[in-house]
Amino acid sequence: MKTNNILLKFILAAYLVVFFGYLLGPLVVMSITAFNSPSFPKLTPWECLTFEWFDVLAHDERILNGIENSLIIGIGTVILSVIMGLAGALMLTQIWPKLRATYYTIVIAPILIPGVVLGISTLVFWDRISIMLGMSSGGILHNGIFLTILGQSTFIASYCMLVFIARLQRFDTGLTEAALDLGATQVQAFRKILLPFMKPAIGSAAVLAFLASFENYNTTTFTFGKFPTLTIELAQKVRYGINPSISALAFIIIVLTILGALAHEIYRRRQQLALANGAPVAAVSGGFQLPKIFRGNPAAIILVLLTLGGASTLWFAQSYSPDVCKMDVREQKRLIQEERIKAIREKRQLELQQKQHQGPDVFGGSKSAAPATQSPGKGAFGNVFDPGNLDKSGPGAVKPQEPTKSPGKGAFGDVFAPQNLDKAAPKED
Amino acid sequence: MNVGQLFKDFFAKNGIGLGTFLLVAVLFWVVILIVLPQLSMLDFSFRHHLPPPEMGGPKDTYTIEHYKYLVLGAPGADTSYNVVDLGVFGRTLLAALFVTILDLLLCYPLAYYLGQSRGGGAIRILVLLLIIPYWINEILRAFAFRIIFGESGLINEMMLAMGLISNPVDFIRANVALYAGLGYAYILLMIFPIYNVIESLDRNQIEAARDMGAPWWRIHWRIVIPYAKPGISSGCTMVFMLSAGALAAPQILGGPSSLWFTQIIYQWFNTGGNWPRGAAFAIVLLVTCIIIVLSMMRLFKVKIGDIGK
Repeated sequence: MKTNNILLKFILAAYLVVFFGYLLGPLVVMSITAFNSPSFPKLTPWECLTFEWFDVLAHDERILNGIENSLIIGIGTVILSVIMGLAGALMLTQIWPKLRATYYTIVIAPILIPGVVLGISTLVFWDRISIMLGMSSGGILHNGIFLTILGQSTFIASYCMLVFIARLQRFDTGLTEAALDLGATQVQAFRKILLPFMKPAIGSAAVLAFLASFENYNTTTFTFGKFPTLTIELAQKVRYGINPSISALAFIIIVLTILGALAHEIYRRRQQLALANGAPVAAVSGGFQLPKIFRGNPAAIILVLLTLGGASTLWFAQSYSPDVCKMDVREQKRLIQEERIKAIREKRQLELQQKQHQGPDVFGGSKSAAPATQSPGKGAFGNVFDPGNLDKSGPGAVKPQEPTKSPGKGAFGDVFAPQNLDKAAPKED
Repeated sequence: MNVGQLFKDFFAKNGIGLGTFLLVAVLFWVVILIVLPQLSMLDFSFRHHLPPPEMGGPKDTYTIEHYKYLVLGAPGADTSYNVVDLGVFGRTLLAALFVTILDLLLCYPLAYYLGQSRGGGAIRILVLLLIIPYWINEILRAFAFRIIFGESGLINEMMLAMGLISNPVDFIRANVALYAGLGYAYILLMIFPIYNVIESLDRNQIEAARDMGAPWWRIHWRIVIPYAKPGISSGCTMVFMLSAGALAAPQILGGPSSLWFTQIIYQWFNTGGNWPRGAAFAIVLLVTCIIIVLSMMRLFKVKIGDIGK
């Protein structure tokens, strides 16, 4: 029984390692390539530690422009989809029961509809509307930002709605009723009771919406028009020639993500701690008690370590220059290149010698007739077969030199001419 | 109860201002963003491919030429069926199914493990580690797989260095990179629905079964899997739909000889410049995916309300 347990534990551990290796390995590899100097993102061979790709990234106009467009579209999408998602969730609680299932199917469908289809339908629909209204093709209905916000909000609002529904299920409608009984207007009850209750959900829905908008590709690729977002720019870069500045961007995004996740985790820990102690959050998070948050809170420790590591790396990057190392690598590459050329030369020489040996065999037919001509013939060919000659000019240029010097020419005519040789060889085999 | 009464009740409950806001926001979303664009795309897919000035003119009639094209190919082609496009379509669906099964096999054990272990800091960190890759841009994730599986990528270089192979293996052409990348992209959508369901499973049921002497596989087969069915089917539905509709990963990781159906749609819209045909193909993709998902749900007796939980 016990060995069985150990085996099970071992299998579980191995499985976890494989799973998280699959999940995190690619991100780690990609991050590391941002610091390697070859202009194609590679982990091996490791050449030089460099920070130049971050520099390249910071001067990439298209990337910067893409980030700007992504931010504008992201903010628009957040506003639109949070509003629609909230309204959709509230509507679900009030809708006529017979319609409920149909309504839910319709508003949840955008999550399941392929993003490509959403993008296309948005594009087609607004194109037709603008034709119907007789608007020019440069009008707002063809504006990439407008179309992208609408296209993305179609399905991101569904995500938001799911978040709101989850929160609404815990809402006590008695609260609103009490407020109304006490003389509050509908709007007041909504603003003072329901909205504060929904606030955390609104926050997380907004974050979710922004992230979904920021990384969306399938829908945006049909609607972006003249305003490519960061994701579109990245896709174009990745498809048509890549360099490690993309890895650098990925590295930055990964670090930001980890920091965000850790900060969120710390916040949750604090809240739990506060709940457990029966004290408000502020008491636990006070400046004086700051070290307390490290207790039993690995996330905070990791966060601090990461920050320290980041700061020291930045300091190092300021003072570090990869030029010397790069020169070395270049020198090494040159040497390797030279060696390769040398090797190729030798190989050619060898091939040539083999050809030379084959030469007499090819003429096998005329051998008996003129054994004496072999040596003069060879002498004549000696020049032609000179490896240096061939290396420079190739077989094509060899032809004209040869016959003039050949003493055997009289006896054999053009038999020994190399072009004949080429033609004749297959026949005699 | 008539419709007028319904509206009256609605406004009485919410007040004029709030009620109008709710109604306008929901109608805008449902009608203008969801329903009308889909209908307009459906309509558009039955139109001839015309230059803009002729739209709405006498030539702008309904036709099924684009659907015909997908099934039968261009008129006058050598084959009687459009082998290329239909082949791509079938292969896309099969590959999406393959990715879904791969993800399910990979995720179920972890979801079970996470769901059954109660709380704990380590579990929280694991969940955090699960979420982090999902926040990284889809393009960048595909890009990472290209670095790993490329011709001079990590795996090839390592295998070359270890002497396992003498020539680089073309993982891109063999679609290994594509399947790995797609499975990776949607792994979270498989794990969380299953995890959420298993988390609520009463542990006593498992212990009771164990006490009765059931082997571990029967516990899973008879207790855990039936209980987790809504989560499993909702995860599978999402992964299948998203893989079949994926565009970025096939564009970046797909081999030169194997297209994804969405790439064909993309081509009709961009380089091909035939929007109605692209719309028709998109409709085919949408309808097929819906049919497959609905029949899977019917098969496993799961309701649409379970999706997205």
